[in-house]
Amino acid sequence: MDEKKEDKKRFGSIKNAIKDFVYGMAAHDMVTYSLRTRMHMENLFMLIVMGDMLGIPVLPPYYSLRLLPHVVPHVKTWKRTLLRDRDVTDRMFGG
Amino acid sequence: MKYLLFAGKGGLGKTTLSATTARYLASKGKKVIVFSTDPQASLTDVFEYDLFGKGEVKLAQNLYALEIDADRVVADYQASVRKKIIDMYGEVPEEIEDYIKSASAQPAMSESATFDSMIELIMKGDYDYYIFDMMPHGHAIRFLSMASLLDTWINKVVDIRKDSSDVDERVKRISGKESGASEEKGMIDELMDIKNRLGFMAKIISARDTTALFYVVIPEQMAIMDTEIAIREFKKFGIELSGIIVNQVYPKELASDPNVPDFLKNRVKMQQGNMETIKKKFGDRIVAHVPMMDKEPKGLEMLEKTAYIVYGGTHE
Repeated sequence: MDEKKEDKKRFGSIKNAIKDFVYGMAAHDMVTYSLRTRMHMENLFMLIVMGDMLGIPVLPPYYSLRLLPHVVPHVKTWKRTLLRDRDVTDRMFGG
Repeated sequence: MKYLLFAGKGGLGKTTLSATTARYLASKGKKVIVFSTDPQASLTDVFEYDLFGKGEVKLAQNLYALEIDADRVVADYQASVRKKIIDMYGEVPEEIEDYIKSASAQPAMSESATFDSMIELIMKGDYDYYIFDMMPHGHAIRFLSMASLLDTWINKVVDIRKDSSDVDERVKRISGKESGASEEKGMIDELMDIKNRLGFMAKIISARDTTALFYVVIPEQMAIMDTEIAIREFKKFGIELSGIIVNQVYPKELASDPNVPDFLKNRVKMQQGNMETIKKKFGDRIVAHVPMMDKEPKGLEMLEKTAYIVYGGTHE
């Protein structure tokens, strides 16, 4: 009985390893690329809505204030991303 | 027509004409509200009733007026944003508090608050007629063009957000992991509500079958020049004038009355010369001539008399 369970466990971990391997080969790059695109979109969104925070004038911020509560957790990271120094390696690795 | 806007240079009688028109329509059994978008609103003076910051005030049967206190609206709005952040996260982070303060201090903020109040009022749809006493010329153009600018802006913002959701969806499908923020739903709801409001207003401002924009001019050079500029500027933002109202016109008989002093005669002659210019420049755009009154049209009774002079017994 225990042996059967052990076999099943081994088979499961082999299956997971193969799944991870295939994911790594076929989809990992795609997911990383998509997440990077998502990050740029988030930055663009924040800029177009909350640009004033960085001294970039946008339209009257009346409606931006309505969106403010929904972006509170992102503000710190967004400011850091946009204002940090960049060098040539950022360009190479898409930062 | 459902929405009537009176614009023009400062001091030419926009408020009086708005109030007169409102009084007239109300006397015809239509439920009317007159709303002032001017930060230096003078509906209170014209109606001789304290309206400032009092909400929708009933002045007579079917006649209502609204003169908002934009500073208070901004302060209340600020407080509601703060409250929402506290409800969601327990506190307002310092940098967010600084942003709320600096955003609210911008001069365009009270203009936007007035604009949003105007949308709110129209969306509620409680009245047969909405009469807007606009702020002077340049401000009015900026104010009305705000609808199409903000509409373009919100459409872009919504597009970006939708693209982001598509990416989230793609990542979830491939990796089985969530990448989007959990507050996405609230954000989309908020965005769609803003988009609906702004789209609604942009449509109303450019709808010539329901909205009429009248420009008030007096027979004086400066006002004529201002009107020419305004027509061009409004056109740039796709807003067509529905008509020009020539206000404060002295009766021309005064020029030949021997009892009238030369000073007044000269003014009448000057006005007659300018009336010719107005006719040449604006031609069939002129929809009404309103005579100069012998006293200031103030208070409901006087406004009713003025309405009789301006609109007579008929109304289109």
